[in-house]
Amino acid sequence: MDVKKIRERIKKILLLTMLSVGAILMLFPFFWMLFVAVKAEGHGFKLDFVMAAPLFKNFAAVWNNTAFPFSRFFMNSLFVATSGAFMTALFCSMGAYAFAKKNFVFKEVIFWMLLSTLMIPGMMYMVPQFALVTQFGWINTYKGMIIPHVANIFGLFLLRQHMETIPDALISSAEIDGANEWQIFRHIIVPLSMPIITTVFLLTFLFQWTNFLWQLVVNTPDSLKLTLPVGLALFRGQYSTQWTLLMAASAFSIIPIAVLFLALQRFFIEGLTAGAVKE
Amino acid sequence: MKISSRNTKNIRNNVAAYLFLFPFLAVFFTFLAYPVIYSLILSLHKVSWSTNLYNVFSDMKFVGLDNYIALLQDSHFWWSLVVTAYYAILTIPFTIFLGLILAILLNNKLPGVSLFRSAYFLPSVLDMLVVGVIWTLLYSPHFGILPNILNSVGYSNFMDNGILASPRTALPGVALAMVLRGAGFGMILFLSAIQNIPVSVYEAADIDGANAWQKLIYITIPLVKPIILFLVIMGTIASLNAFTEIYAMTQGGPYVVEFMGKIQGATRLSGYYLFEKWEAMKFGYAAAVSYVLLLITLVISLINARLMGKRD
Repeated sequence: MDVKKIRERIKKILLLTMLSVGAILMLFPFFWMLFVAVKAEGHGFKLDFVMAAPLFKNFAAVWNNTAFPFSRFFMNSLFVATSGAFMTALFCSMGAYAFAKKNFVFKEVIFWMLLSTLMIPGMMYMVPQFALVTQFGWINTYKGMIIPHVANIFGLFLLRQHMETIPDALISSAEIDGANEWQIFRHIIVPLSMPIITTVFLLTFLFQWTNFLWQLVVNTPDSLKLTLPVGLALFRGQYSTQWTLLMAASAFSIIPIAVLFLALQRFFIEGLTAGAVKE
Repeated sequence: MKISSRNTKNIRNNVAAYLFLFPFLAVFFTFLAYPVIYSLILSLHKVSWSTNLYNVFSDMKFVGLDNYIALLQDSHFWWSLVVTAYYAILTIPFTIFLGLILAILLNNKLPGVSLFRSAYFLPSVLDMLVVGVIWTLLYSPHFGILPNILNSVGYSNFMDNGILASPRTALPGVALAMVLRGAGFGMILFLSAIQNIPVSVYEAADIDGANAWQKLIYITIPLVKPIILFLVIMGTIASLNAFTEIYAMTQGGPYVVEFMGKIQGATRLSGYYLFEKWEAMKFGYAAAVSYVLLLITLVISLINARLMGKRD
């Protein structure tokens, strides 16, 4: 066997080993979470192999907890993330269509305003947005949790970029056929932009699902609208040493996103790389 | 006749455009544009003893620049800026470095590459609060797995207090958790940029006798420079935004560092300090903190834009 082939072989094995070690290190915290979540009560903090019986006891205990009902938190998270993502995808598509295919007064001014707002760190919005939501009477409501974040500028730009590539001839021929503005949007623009709309939907879903600060700010601790991360934070305040229960509760937040991501990662990756390439 | 028909079309176009834009712009102006001004107004006011607590925001007392003057003399605020800068230095270079290494390793023809790519990218989409809580367990005293691993190699310093209770290791501990979480995002960007570099460039370098290291320094890194700059900007904004990881892991502590004659929290970043002021209902002061942080962000962005302009 020639030396070159052997060297290639060794290089390959070395690379695979490095990649495997790296992957194990980066995913280790999540394996540990799952491991602790199925351990027996009082053993979450110990380095042993005493398992819960039945194995998913901790999950059931957290899901049906009366003071901190994680089943309710889960449904709230699902509702907030889904409706937030739907509204964002809809509003961004409509706005992007206007920017891509229409001329209107103040177009440049509005565009410039959107662009400059993109650089403001979200933390700086906490106080004024809280003040607004308080004055609107939106504390402890779904709309308070969802609406302030549905004007996603990044999503609008992403969609505009794509819609500009849709040929004008398609639109004018539909106009000749007597289609009105909404029909053009609904039956031509939306179907042709569906992959990007899906990307915006998924990225917003992810953002809303994992958003902690705003859901913490807009809800009081006795709110019925708490989402998973806020519920987990409050639960932890009460049971800071019950690691088996804490990790089971954490898994309710992590597992759905992990499954969603692995199933649809093409859309996530496309959206995230498009943002950077644009810069 | 022709002109008037063009005019009607123009008006109709404007009306249609604004009808499509209306939902987006209504939310944008209310919750993103107006707050920039509203925040400034709030920062000139203060919740006082006479403020009606059921109607706080319309009943704050005008105090002029008092909040800003107090802020300039607030050692806790200055310290939070120091810690934020330190956090940025701990996270940004390592996230970029790790992301680039992973991308270069993944850019080889290997079995299971897409599996590895998913594995590395997955942590960056997961809930930051949960990731912080998990790492708190890994770092905890006596039973935490990391202090135990360190103990088994003869380094027993962390067995009694864990990693997050010591002022020297608390912030690096938070940073390590966040670097491992965030590196996959950089990796994806680097990977797509590297795959866009034509193979012929590397082949030409091979003919000239360049080794792997030279190819990295002279070809790959210059071609991914825009990605590096993008990640620096994103990392800077993320450091100024950092709150959730601190809330989950240290709550700003341990409070043992002395600075400007006051006891300071070793991990109290400016984002977390802002949250504490909000929590204490010091809304005017919190608004002033956010305004100063906003100005700092703008200055950093301008410097970044300058640097980018010079390089091009």
